[in-house]
Amino acid sequence: MWSYLFKRLLHMIPLLLGVSLLTFLLMALAPGDYFTALSQNPQISPETIAHLKARFHLDQPWYVQYFYWLKSVLSGDFGYSMAYKIPATSLIVQRLWNTFLLSFFAMIIAWGIALPLGIWAAVKKDSWIDRGCSLAAFLGLSVPDVLLSLLALWFAAATGWFPVGGAQSPVNDLMSPAQQFWDRAHHLILPALVLAAADWAGIMRQMRSNLLDTLRAEYVTAARARGLGEGWVIYKHALRNAINPLLTIFGYSLAALLSGAFIVENIMAWPGLGRLTMEAFFAKDSYLVVDCVVMATGLLVVGNFIADLLLAWSDPRIRLNK
Amino acid sequence: MNLLEIKNLKMDFGIGADALRAVDGVSLTIGAGETVCLVGESGCGKTVTALSIARLVPAPPANYVGGEILLNGRDVLKMSNRELRDIRGGVVSYVFQEPGASLNPVFRIGNQIKESLKLHRPIGTPAPGTARTNETNTPCQRPALQDYDAEVIRLLKLVGIPAPESRIKNYPFEMSGGMQQRVMIAMALASEPKLLVADEPTTALDVTIQAQILELLHGLKQRLGMAILLITHNLGIVGDMADRVAVMYAGQIVELSPAKELLRRPLHPYTKALMNAVPKLAGGANRLSAIPGNVPRIGNFPPACRFAPRCPMAKPECSEKIPELVEVEAGRWVRCPFWK
Amino acid sequence: METATALLTAEAKAPLSPWQLFRRRLKRRRIAMAGGVILIGLYLMALFAGFIAPYHFERQDRDRFFHPPLWPKLSGFHLVVPRYEAGDGSFVYHLVAGDTKPLRFFIRGDKYKLLCLIPATIHLFGTGDENYPAYLLGTDQFGRDVLSRLLYGSQISLSIGIVGILLSFTFGMMIGGISGYFGGRTDTVIMRLCELIMSIPALYLIISLRATFPPGMSSAQVYAMIIIILSFIGWASMARVIRGMTLSLREQQFVLAARALGQTHLKVIVRHILPNTFSYVIVAATLSVPYYILGEVVLSFLGVGIQEPNASWGNMLTAAQNTEYLRNYPWLLAPGTAIFVTVLAFNFLGDGLRDAADTKS
Ligand SMILES: Nc1ncnc2c1ncn2[C@@H]1O[C@H](COP(=O)(O)OP(=O)(O)OP(=O)(O)O)[C@@H](O)[C@H]1O
Ligand SMILES: [Mg+2]
Repeated sequence: MWSYLFKRLLHMIPLLLGVSLLTFLLMALAPGDYFTALSQNPQISPETIAHLKARFHLDQPWYVQYFYWLKSVLSGDFGYSMAYKIPATSLIVQRLWNTFLLSFFAMIIAWGIALPLGIWAAVKKDSWIDRGCSLAAFLGLSVPDVLLSLLALWFAAATGWFPVGGAQSPVNDLMSPAQQFWDRAHHLILPALVLAAADWAGIMRQMRSNLLDTLRAEYVTAARARGLGEGWVIYKHALRNAINPLLTIFGYSLAALLSGAFIVENIMAWPGLGRLTMEAFFAKDSYLVVDCVVMATGLLVVGNFIADLLLAWSDPRIRLNK
Repeated sequence: MNLLEIKNLKMDFGIGADALRAVDGVSLTIGAGETVCLVGESGCGKTVTALSIARLVPAPPANYVGGEILLNGRDVLKMSNRELRDIRGGVVSYVFQEPGASLNPVFRIGNQIKESLKLHRPIGTPAPGTARTNETNTPCQRPALQDYDAEVIRLLKLVGIPAPESRIKNYPFEMSGGMQQRVMIAMALASEPKLLVADEPTTALDVTIQAQILELLHGLKQRLGMAILLITHNLGIVGDMADRVAVMYAGQIVELSPAKELLRRPLHPYTKALMNAVPKLAGGANRLSAIPGNVPRIGNFPPACRFAPRCPMAKPECSEKIPELVEVEAGRWVRCPFWK
Repeated sequence: METATALLTAEAKAPLSPWQLFRRRLKRRRIAMAGGVILIGLYLMALFAGFIAPYHFERQDRDRFFHPPLWPKLSGFHLVVPRYEAGDGSFVYHLVAGDTKPLRFFIRGDKYKLLCLIPATIHLFGTGDENYPAYLLGTDQFGRDVLSRLLYGSQISLSIGIVGILLSFTFGMMIGGISGYFGGRTDTVIMRLCELIMSIPALYLIISLRATFPPGMSSAQVYAMIIIILSFIGWASMARVIRGMTLSLREQQFVLAARALGQTHLKVIVRHILPNTFSYVIVAATLSVPYYILGEVVLSFLGVGIQEPNASWGNMLTAAQNTEYLRNYPWLLAPGTAIFVTVLAFNFLGDGLRDAADTKS
C-alpha cells in the first residue's frame, strides 16, 4: 500500500508543475498586463513603470519569469499582488481557506443527502420512492448553479434570514468569539446549501447504481443462501462493496464542486479563490491568476489523494498489493 | 419422508404477457444422504431450479406459478422470510460456480465463515442436530460450540486447506481458485446442512483442481452423510459421484434414472446425444456441446417435444404431441414415447 | 464455431438489427422521447427566433423599463393584451382596466433576417401599436422585451452547445484514436496532456484561457472564442475514453484485416476503429452539450463572454445579480428557467439513449 500511495504522491508533483507551467504560458500569451493600464496614467513616469517591471521580472521572457515565480513559491512566498498592493501569500491563504470551507461543508451536506437517498432508492428499486428520487436527481442535475445562486440571493434578500453575500459581517472583528463563530456560520450556510444542491444529484445516482450492481453480485446471493437477513446482506455485504467505486468518482465530483464553488463565490460574493481569480483577471494581475489556478488545482489534487488514501484503506485488494 | 421433494414446479420470469417460462413442471426428489446430479446444457434452467429450493431467485422477476417444493416436508414457496432464513444454510447450503465471485471480496475469509457459524451455531447452544461422528457414523448429540476461531480452523482443515491458522486472515483475492472453492465448501458446511447444492462447482477451475474438488465433495458426503445436489453440464463426472441423475432440457426434466443404468444405457435421445458429446479427454470442460442445432432460448421453446428440432430420430408427431415424463422401467423416467 | 453459435443464438432471440433494437428500446422510454421533442422545439424556436420574437433584441422602449409580463386574454374571438401604466418616474405598473388591444398574427414589425439570411419584417404576433406592447415576459432595465431577447439569445446559447460538441468531439476522437492506435510515446504524451487539462477545475482553466484573448473583439469573434475555449477543455475526456476503446479495438479481426490489406493508418482509424465507438460517442455528446451551454452562460454572465447589446442567456442573467432588481422584477430570471429546461431535456434524452444503447439490459 505504501508504494501505491507513494506513487500517487509522486504523481502530484509533475502534475502541479505542468499546471503552473501551462497557466503561466497562457498568462504570457495574454495581451497587456497590469502596467498597460498604468502607463496610460500621465502621473506615473515611464521610468517608474520600467523600474517596477524590472522588480517583478516582467521585463524578462515568460519562462525566466516562471523560474523566478517557481523559486519564490517553493519557498512559500507568492510574491506581491500588484492589484491589491499587499503580499499575495496572505491573500491566497485566506481565500483558499474560504474556498475550502465552502467546498468542504457543501460536500458534507451533498454526500449526507446523496448517500442515504441513493441507498434508499436502490433498496426500493422501482417503487415510487425510487422514481421520486430519480426525478429529483434529474432536476438537481439540470438546475444550473447560476440560477440556484441567484435564487438563493433572492431568497436571502426577500426573507432577510440570511446575509446577502460575504463571508462575515463588517463588524465581525468587534464580536466575541462565540458571536464571531455564529456570524461566520450564518454566512456560510446559504452558499454551502446552494453548492450542495448542485452537487448531490450525481453522487446519489452513482450510489444507487453502485448498490444495484453489488446487489446483483453473486456474493450477495451467496450471503442470502447462508441465511443472513436481508438488512445484513444489504448493509454489510452489498453496501460495503458499493462504497469503493464511489471513492474513485470522488475526484470527478470534487472537480465539479470546485467549478460550482467558482460560480457560487462570484454570485454570492463569497471571498474565495474563484472570486479572487475573477478580480485578478479584471485587474490583469496575471501572477495572482496563476496562483489561484495552481491553488485550486492543488486543492483538487490533494482531495484526490485523500480519496486514494480512503480507497486504499477501504479496499483490501489495493491495501495489500505490494 | 424424502429430504427434498419438488413437485411439478413451474416458474416464470416476468408476469402476464412478458412471462417467460424458465422451469416447466420439474419434479425431483432427493432422499437423505443421497447424491443426485442435475445435467443439461447451458440455459436449460438448472441454476434456477436449484436456487428455487431455498427460494433464492429474486422475485420479481421470478414468479412461481405452480407446484411445491417440500423441504423436510414443508413447502418452501409458502414459508415466511423468517423460516426461509432458517432453512438457508440450516437445511440447504450452496456452493456456486465462480468461487471468486461468490466470496465477498472485502471481508476476510475467516470472518465470512464465522458469520455462518454465529448465525446457525452460536456459541453455547447445543444443536439438536444429528451430526455423525467420523468413526462410528452413528447419530449423536453434537456438543455446543466453544470457540468460533477453532471451529473455523477445523472446517478449513476438513476441506483440505493447508495451514488454516494462517489462512483465516486472508482475503479471497489472496487465494487461488481451488482454495477459494474449498473455502466456499467450508462455509457451506459450517451450518451443518442436510443438503448441499453444488452448482457447477468445478466449471471455473483448472482441470486438475476440478478432480480434487469433486473428490473432496465425495469424501465429505461419506463422512458427514449429507445429501448432495450436484449440477453440471458434463456427464463425464456423473459416474463417480451420483446415485441418480436428472437430465434437464429447456426447463423440463427429460430423463431421470439411477446413475449407473443411465450411463450404461441412456434412454432419451437427448441423453444419448449428451453422452456422445462428452469430451473423450478426461475432464475437458467444454461448454459447447457438439449436439447440432442451438439450445432453444427461454420463451422460444418448440411447442411439443422441445428437443424435436435437434433430435436425430424425430418423427412428425414429435412436433405435435406433448410428451409426458413416464416411468418406463423401475426407477427410470423418460419424456419420450420413442425411447425404445 | 464459437462465434457462429453465439451469432445464431443471438439471432434466435431477436431477429432485429442493433439499430432497430435501439430504436425500439428508446421508444419505450417516454421521458427520453419527451426530452427529444422539447429539444426539437427549442432548436426550431432558435432557428426562427427573429420571426417568433415580437421585437428586435436591441429595441429599447424608454417609456417602459421593467414592464411586468402580461398575459393575453381571450375576448370574443380575439386574444387581447391589456395595458399597464406606470406612475410618474417609478417602475410600479398598474393595469388599466378595460383598455385592451387585440393581438394580431403575422404582423409587420421590426426588421430581422429569417434564418440569419433573408431580410424580413413579418412577425408571428404583435399588436402593431406602440402604446400596447406585447411584452409577454416583461422588459429589462433598458426597456427591452425579455421574450425577444430570450429567443435571440437562444440562437447563441443553444448553437454553442452543438458547435462546441462537434468541434471538441471530432478532435477528441481523432486524438484518442491516434493515441490508442499508435501507443508508445505518442500515447504517453497525449495522455499526460489530457490528464493535465482534466486536473484543473474547469472554470479556472476557462478563465485562464479567456485571458489570452484581446479585449474589444467583434461579436462573431467572441462567439468563436467561447467555442474554442470550451472545446479546448472538452476534447480531453473524450480522447481518453476513445483511446481506451481503440486499445481493445485495434486487436480485433476486422482491424487486423484492414491493416493486412495495406490501408493507411489514418484510414484504419477513421474507417474501422472510430465508427465502432459511435454509440458511446452519441450518448456522451448528448450528455455533454449542457456543459457547453453552461460554459457560455457562465462566461457571459461574468461579463467576459457575449457582450451587450447582443443577447445570450448568460448575459441576460447578469442583471438579475442585482438583488434590488431580483426582488422587484423576478421575470429577469426567465433565461435561467430556459437554461434549466434545456439542460433537463438534454439529460432526459441522454439518459434514455444510454439505457437504450446499453446492451446489458
Ligand atoms: N433473473 C433472470 N431474469 C430473466 N431470465 C433469467 C434470469 N435468470 C435466469 N434467466 C433465464 O433462465 C434460463 C435458465 O437459466 P439458468 O441460469 O438456470 O441456466 P443454467 O441451466 O444454470 O445454465 P448454465 O449452465 O449456463 O449455468 C436462462 O434462459 C436464463 O436466461
Ligand atoms: Mg447455471
